Amino acid sequence: MSAKLKRTIVAWALLSPLIVLIVFPFAVMFITAIKPAQEVLRPTWWPSEVAWRNFIDMWPATNFGPALWNSIYVAVLSTVLALIASVPAAYALNRYRFSGRGLFRQFLLVSQMLSPMVLVIGLFRLVVWLGLLDNVNSVVFVYGAFAVAFTVLMLQSYFATIPRDLEEAAWVEGASAWKALVIVFLPLAIPAITVTAIFSFINAWNEFVIALTMLRRQESYTLPIQIFSLVAGRYTVEWHHVMAATFVATIPVAIVFAWLQRYLVRGLAIGAVK
Amino acid sequence: MEKHWFRGAAAAAALLSATALTHAQTLRVTVAEYSSKTGPYFEEVAAAFEEAHPDADVQIEVVPWDVLLQKLTTDISGNANADLSIIGTRWLIDFVDQGIAAPLDEYMTDDFKERFFPVFLEPSVMEGQTYGLPMAASARAMYYNKTLFEEAGIEEVPGTWDELAEAAEKISALGDDIAGFGLQGTEIETDVYFYYAFWAFGGELVEEDGTSGLDTEAGYDAAALYKSLIDSGATQPGVTSYNREDVQNLFKQGKVGMMITAPFLSNQIADEAPDLDYGVAAIPAGPEGDRGTYGVTDSIIMFENSENKDLAWEFLDLLFTTEWRQKFTAGEGFLPVNPEVAEMPEFADNPDLKEFTALLPDARFAPVIPGWEEIASITSDAVQTIYLGNAEPQEALDGAAQEINGILGE
Amino acid sequence: MTRSPVTNPYLLVLPGFLLAAFIILWPLYQLGTISLSEVNRFGQLRGFAGLDNYIAVFTDPDFLGALWRTLVWTVGIVFGSLIISVPVALILNEDFYGRSLARVIVMLPWAVSLTMTAIVWRWALNGESGMLNSGLQAIGIIDTNIQWLARASTAFPVQILIGVLVTIPFTTTIFLGGLSSISDDLYEAARLEGASRWQAFRQITLPLIRPFLNISIVLNMIYVFNSFPIIWATTQGGPANSTDILVTYLYKLGFRFGKLGEASALSVMMFALLLIFTITYVALAMRSERQ
Repeated sequence: MSAKLKRTIVAWALLSPLIVLIVFPFAVMFITAIKPAQEVLRPTWWPSEVAWRNFIDMWPATNFGPALWNSIYVAVLSTVLALIASVPAAYALNRYRFSGRGLFRQFLLVSQMLSPMVLVIGLFRLVVWLGLLDNVNSVVFVYGAFAVAFTVLMLQSYFATIPRDLEEAAWVEGASAWKALVIVFLPLAIPAITVTAIFSFINAWNEFVIALTMLRRQESYTLPIQIFSLVAGRYTVEWHHVMAATFVATIPVAIVFAWLQRYLVRGLAIGAVK
Repeated sequence: MEKHWFRGAAAAAALLSATALTHAQTLRVTVAEYSSKTGPYFEEVAAAFEEAHPDADVQIEVVPWDVLLQKLTTDISGNANADLSIIGTRWLIDFVDQGIAAPLDEYMTDDFKERFFPVFLEPSVMEGQTYGLPMAASARAMYYNKTLFEEAGIEEVPGTWDELAEAAEKISALGDDIAGFGLQGTEIETDVYFYYAFWAFGGELVEEDGTSGLDTEAGYDAAALYKSLIDSGATQPGVTSYNREDVQNLFKQGKVGMMITAPFLSNQIADEAPDLDYGVAAIPAGPEGDRGTYGVTDSIIMFENSENKDLAWEFLDLLFTTEWRQKFTAGEGFLPVNPEVAEMPEFADNPDLKEFTALLPDARFAPVIPGWEEIASITSDAVQTIYLGNAEPQEALDGAAQEINGILGE
Repeated sequence: MTRSPVTNPYLLVLPGFLLAAFIILWPLYQLGTISLSEVNRFGQLRGFAGLDNYIAVFTDPDFLGALWRTLVWTVGIVFGSLIISVPVALILNEDFYGRSLARVIVMLPWAVSLTMTAIVWRWALNGESGMLNSGLQAIGIIDTNIQWLARASTAFPVQILIGVLVTIPFTTTIFLGGLSSISDDLYEAARLEGASRWQAFRQITLPLIRPFLNISIVLNMIYVFNSFPIIWATTQGGPANSTDILVTYLYKLGFRFGKLGEASALSVMMFALLLIFTITYVALAMRSERQ
């Protein structure tokens, strides 16, 4: 038996208890989702027949399409907003010494500590004052702003790994600071920006409390709120639809993870610590 | 720079809210989501209304029940509430006290008033003014599983709590996963489930002297009864993890002999467990023959700060026509609040509903007290403590009563 | 060099600062105002109240219970996930068949919104219809159904376990990043000197991933302290407030009972608590790093 094969067996054996625990809720989700309506309440592991049509019925019954679209819209736009604000700020933090720099960093650190739950009343008044209530864009704005602290901190430590010499060389060759930034620096920063963007995207994709407060009409609901509304205080809960919706909502992010897993590990390592 | 930016934003915001005001014909309606049918129903009403009022734009905001109060609170605190909203009638006093709900009497003609059963209109009358219209009404009655009754050899539906206890033990003896009496022990209305027995033993939530009635013999007896049901295995195990929906699910699966709940369970059974052989009966009486069911209404209110009160009223007028009421009441499985609807054969000839309507004379509504939600929560906590066996009934209920008296005295 | 906006750090920082400040400072100011005011159930201010709201929160027995449980909750989850994540990261850093798949599986809980995870668990933990009980019965661990959520003695540990499970992906990812930055030469050298694997771990791995440990502890502490959905979706803090933590208590206070003044006071206190907690930890961590 080769050494690698031995390692493989040991590694999977050691991981197996954890994997069972991790996979368990997904199994519950999936199995409930494919149970026929009459069998949902029976705690059997296998349904008597696989009701694939739950996935089709779920779509209109849970208003899934619009909620999916809203989630994508909010997650993408808030990420873009956060990046537009934080890339220059992170660049400045990393490349320039200026008075107030330390203060700004501390402000960002502290602002990470506020839970949306703690701020929700104040935030709500802010959104009303801006006239953005029940507008998906209000959520974009709040998520984007909340993400700024994390993205700036992460980006600036990542930027520290990009050598200065290259920009300085460009200046010597007569490029303007702006040109050096766009042509030399940004291409090198793209991996960092990608990783940061993924984090911001996931946080927006999963956020609950703010969306719950700011969005009031079903047309503007994002996925977590939509799914929550199916179980919260209803007189009857259609668990097979809820689970089918949850399962489908999980797939896009799971795919992104599988695809970008390598970059995430590296990006988080550099971004989180420096 | 900073100042300038802020001023710009403020101006933009002002502009936005100004344009919102000039759209005088937008009507926002917050509705509670009772079931998956609620949203589509109100969209349909809105469409019909917009057809009759081409210049009006009705926006329906469907809110899950669990977060309705939170949304209303944030909305009002941000001065961004809708024009109309459904609320639990038990919250109404807070809305009236703070001048948030608008009185509706000036709009209500005698003709309009006659559309309602007075008993349902009453809870929304405060200081001689009507502040809400009953949107949904339900009372509670006992559902029982006829098949289980037969298997256990029970011939008569229990009429008193003693008989219920006896029957429940017999049914529980049928099998490990069968329970005689389904007892709700967590989340919304845990306190109400306790009141069913409490009222039967002659208890009053608020005594004549204005203090809590929990620390009376009625309270101790009712709690001791439930606790003995739990201890003798006459209820499902682990009652404190079962909310209303969970107990109903047990009933639908035929695993529970008796439970007390609202008429909408009949609709669910028809959809999900059509083969279940069940009956509906009155909530058992106490030793002195007292009995009480919980009456609940949800009201739709108009906000005092609404810019479109007349239009809002017209919407209410449409909402409470017989045709639309029939559709709502049948779809959600509530009790008819309008005589004309109640006379329709589908309601008048429904044996389940008849049981509920027969109970209405005994119906008690949540008392009109500011801070009712907190009182309900204190009561729920106390009964949970008793169910868990962490405190004796008297000790837990005395403590709860003391806390409640603190709120009542405020 | 010509003056360009790109060279003015203040201009570069401004948009980010404004955006963050707008969303933090203004609401924070609002919160402070409300916490010092007499306020009705709908958040309308009705005059100055001094410290009444703060005193009311402090004298509520439920507050102290929730405070204590928040400590257990936070420490339990942060260190629980730490203890599991370190070995998991070490394993995932080894070269074995299917490593990418294993990494994806470990990260999977991250892909689901916490709200949805909590809802799924609520369903799985259901006493009669829940698949946890039927699963455990099938493999013979239990004979009768356990009512997991019926009492705090089973509910709270299960909630902490769920918390640990959803915290592992983030923590493991950070550690993996840390491990991947340690060069293999160091281990090679240690082996040549005859160090055992355990010694290599103690002498090389642990010191080098220490900053990663610290950052994960700080960030997790913040997230877990503020985490709402798991407890809310499973027990709503019950039965009888026995699983309430500060966040769920805050929600009840503010949005169930309509005591917005007390809720704001509690918010301010929670913020202060977290701030002190974190500053102390960071200071301690930095001191030990310097030594």
